[in-house]
Amino acid sequence: MAKIEKADQTTNGSPSEALVEEWRNAAYNCFSSGHKFCREVCPVMQVTRDERHTPTAFHANVVAMDEGHLTIEDVAEDYVHCTMCGACELRCPNTLFTGDFYRFRQRTIDVVRAMRTLAVEQGVHQEDWKRWAELTDRWGNEPVLGWRTETSGDKVRAWAAGLDLPTGGETVLFADCEAAFYRPSVPRAVALLLRAAGVEFGLMSQQWCCGGPMWETGYVDVAHKMAEHNMLDWRKTGTKRIICLDPHDYITIIEHYPSLDENFDEFEIVLGVDLIAELIRDGKLELTNPVELTVTYHDPCRLNKRLGKWQSPREILRAIPGLTFVDVDHVTQWSYCSGAGSNLATAKPELTAEISRRRVEKAAALEGVTTLVSACPWSERPLTEQGKAQGIEVFDIFELVAEAAGFEV
Amino acid sequence: MAVAALPDTLVDELVAICGEDHVFTGRSALFNRARVPSPFPKHRWEEFIPQAVVLPTSAEQVSEVVKLANRAGVPVVPRAGGTGLTDGAVPLKHGILVDVKLMDKILEIDVEDRTVTVQPGINMLKLSEQLKPLGFIYPDNPASYPCSLVGGRIGTSGWSLIGGRYGHTRDLVISFEIVLPTGEIIHVGDGGGKKVRKSSSGYQLKHLFMGHQGTLGIVTEATLELVKRPEAEFSAFFAYKNYEDAWKATGDFARSGLATLAGVVLFDEWKVKYLRRDDEAYIPQPDWVNGVVAVAMYGQKDEVRAGAKHLMRIAKENGSHYLGDEISQGDWASRHDRYATPQHGRTRDGQVALMSWHCEDASILYSQLPAVREKWHAVADSLRERFDMFDDWGMFAYTNGAFKSWGDYLTEIDIGIWEMKWDDESWAAWVDAKREIARIAVEHGGSISACHGSCREGEVDLVPLELGGGFEVMKKIKRTLDPKNIMNPGKYLLDQAYEEGGE
Repeated sequence: MAKIEKADQTTNGSPSEALVEEWRNAAYNCFSSGHKFCREVCPVMQVTRDERHTPTAFHANVVAMDEGHLTIEDVAEDYVHCTMCGACELRCPNTLFTGDFYRFRQRTIDVVRAMRTLAVEQGVHQEDWKRWAELTDRWGNEPVLGWRTETSGDKVRAWAAGLDLPTGGETVLFADCEAAFYRPSVPRAVALLLRAAGVEFGLMSQQWCCGGPMWETGYVDVAHKMAEHNMLDWRKTGTKRIICLDPHDYITIIEHYPSLDENFDEFEIVLGVDLIAELIRDGKLELTNPVELTVTYHDPCRLNKRLGKWQSPREILRAIPGLTFVDVDHVTQWSYCSGAGSNLATAKPELTAEISRRRVEKAAALEGVTTLVSACPWSERPLTEQGKAQGIEVFDIFELVAEAAGFEV
Repeated sequence: MAVAALPDTLVDELVAICGEDHVFTGRSALFNRARVPSPFPKHRWEEFIPQAVVLPTSAEQVSEVVKLANRAGVPVVPRAGGTGLTDGAVPLKHGILVDVKLMDKILEIDVEDRTVTVQPGINMLKLSEQLKPLGFIYPDNPASYPCSLVGGRIGTSGWSLIGGRYGHTRDLVISFEIVLPTGEIIHVGDGGGKKVRKSSSGYQLKHLFMGHQGTLGIVTEATLELVKRPEAEFSAFFAYKNYEDAWKATGDFARSGLATLAGVVLFDEWKVKYLRRDDEAYIPQPDWVNGVVAVAMYGQKDEVRAGAKHLMRIAKENGSHYLGDEISQGDWASRHDRYATPQHGRTRDGQVALMSWHCEDASILYSQLPAVREKWHAVADSLRERFDMFDDWGMFAYTNGAFKSWGDYLTEIDIGIWEMKWDDESWAAWVDAKREIARIAVEHGGSISACHGSCREGEVDLVPLELGGGFEVMKKIKRTLDPKNIMNPGKYLLDQAYEEGGE
């Protein structure tokens, strides 16, 4: 391919200038394209309708900083308005139509992450994100139960009480913070299903947060600390295979951990829904209990938009006896989101609530649908909250599968 | 050059009208509402920022903001999607920017009389998503279909790709509510009834309040056509050895008299060459192909089937080479996304340079297309020779008449611009080129713009030449409706209205 020419620009090496230097071409790709097709699929923009919160603004700000018009202080708060769902990147004509040929994807999430990191480095904090990172750093797990309820030590495996799961081993189940502390029925369901299917696995000797929200909100040092601890823990117990039941953990580990450890390849990272789908397909997991519900499925953004993974959950739902599955195409769902991603719910809870309300409204509009099934514990808290008001029950996909397999969770 | 802040008392009054959450004066709020996708002199960014931004939620709020601006003598700039290719939504004299994006509701769907009433901040794709389950569409289909908003479509009097069958914005907007430059809220349409399509009662004001680029007011509600979703689509691509043959075939198709004909698009050899830069995005055609024509028909199955048969007969008679339906389905469907990606930009020595797409549009008579084409390419070539930051991305010509596809064509030349390179000299050369492109259009009996508007630097100088006495009437109207020149000043040379005879 032809080399991309750079305009004559120099930097003095300040953090802002380094960011501009790194992201100038990506930003300019958007600035010059100017199509703005991203806007109406952006879950935040659909609610706030504010041009400061658009992917186009996120890129244009880099150009404006390059020209000396804006500083990180001017724009830091704007960058809170992003769930890092990835819809904008998919809908971008730059990605859609020239991606293959030029090996190019419009990288908006990375620009948002870089800006948030720069803000933190420059001392421009979002108070609740800062507190979140501090407590995670202190406790090892995220403060998903509120600022005062400690999530540390052995509490992270409290969900497994009575299951008698071993520590370590070749394969471990990585139970996400939100699931482990707030929705323990999810890891319990996964553990029961794996055991029923004859999968041998244990739990980490001390699981810490995957570090994802810290990378997403700019607290990179805390993120690194979490990641390094987790990898050390895996090595300590001879673990080679890590099953992630949560999409956020999965994408964090596969996207960030390899850059921290040159021997990362020794680990195999497995996505829970892929594994469960495979176990059902191979006849190792039998679903015999009819689940008489009419459901629709919420594509978690990290799976559908970020990783192109939308098939396994549908395969699972179609295998549950008694279930009526009203599917909404995964491309249509590019513009859907729960609003929970990248810790928006902590910084802007009212925005998360409205995005979730709209998502549930779409489910409720489908004929006969009473239940919304997700495969992402983070989405399930705000969706459940909004579901109450609209008469829509929210389940995690593993909870339903466990029921179909005859377990109570 | 720093822009003076508005007095605190004025900002307080804006807050009192629109609410604290809907008034912004921070730098990022201002800088992100300074530009639209057309070429932008980013080295002069600060000249184009507003002093405050408001996001009103009702016509009454818009009206109060406009009245306040009149009292304070501060400009008002309306902005909808900010996706226009002229600079209607760009503040030329700073002031208060009224951003209508929060007004994005559907107010009524009337299945009986076939209308849908909306607020101006709604996007057409989003609207059509809501209409689809009911069996309807809103077929205003520009290249910006996924992002432009109804309010902006009215402000520019837009053009639709499938206007040959369904009409363009002015045909699809039945009536609307508009806040005048002095703050009164009036209803404009054919006659008095919101849903009446044809009336002979009084002056026909609808056209006057469309395409004014925000100089005559701010639309706050619009009643649109609710159109039955077509059962069938026929889209075909044809290839030709040279432009001449492609041009002749375009005329044959457009004059066929087929009612289902929604649009005919002619690609010249520069455009074909440009598309070959990316063999992933455009199925490569044999080397002998130097012209392409795309045709689309929509309607009920019975009429589209018969129409397609008739059209293929014409194609056979005029020697068109049918390219199969693989490219036509995919390419027609993605027409709006594909053709302008920054990475297609090339310097003179063939290196990739990230270039903005800019499309200069005009209405050109069919008979004049070949001559205009040659002159326009010469203008682009001259730019490229002098500055290695411009690139000729070829030309399209699209059928331009609503319901009658023959006659004139929306003609566009796409010019890639490496905007990172702007300086005053290259900007001046670009403005000169735009003026020249406009002059050629006017000299050939055309109009400077078919759909974008013609109020940007360069081309705007030719507007008095094109409109003649009509431009004098424009100025009188402007001064009458906007005595203090509050509404989007600096556009369309209308400031002259106040210099010549204003108080």
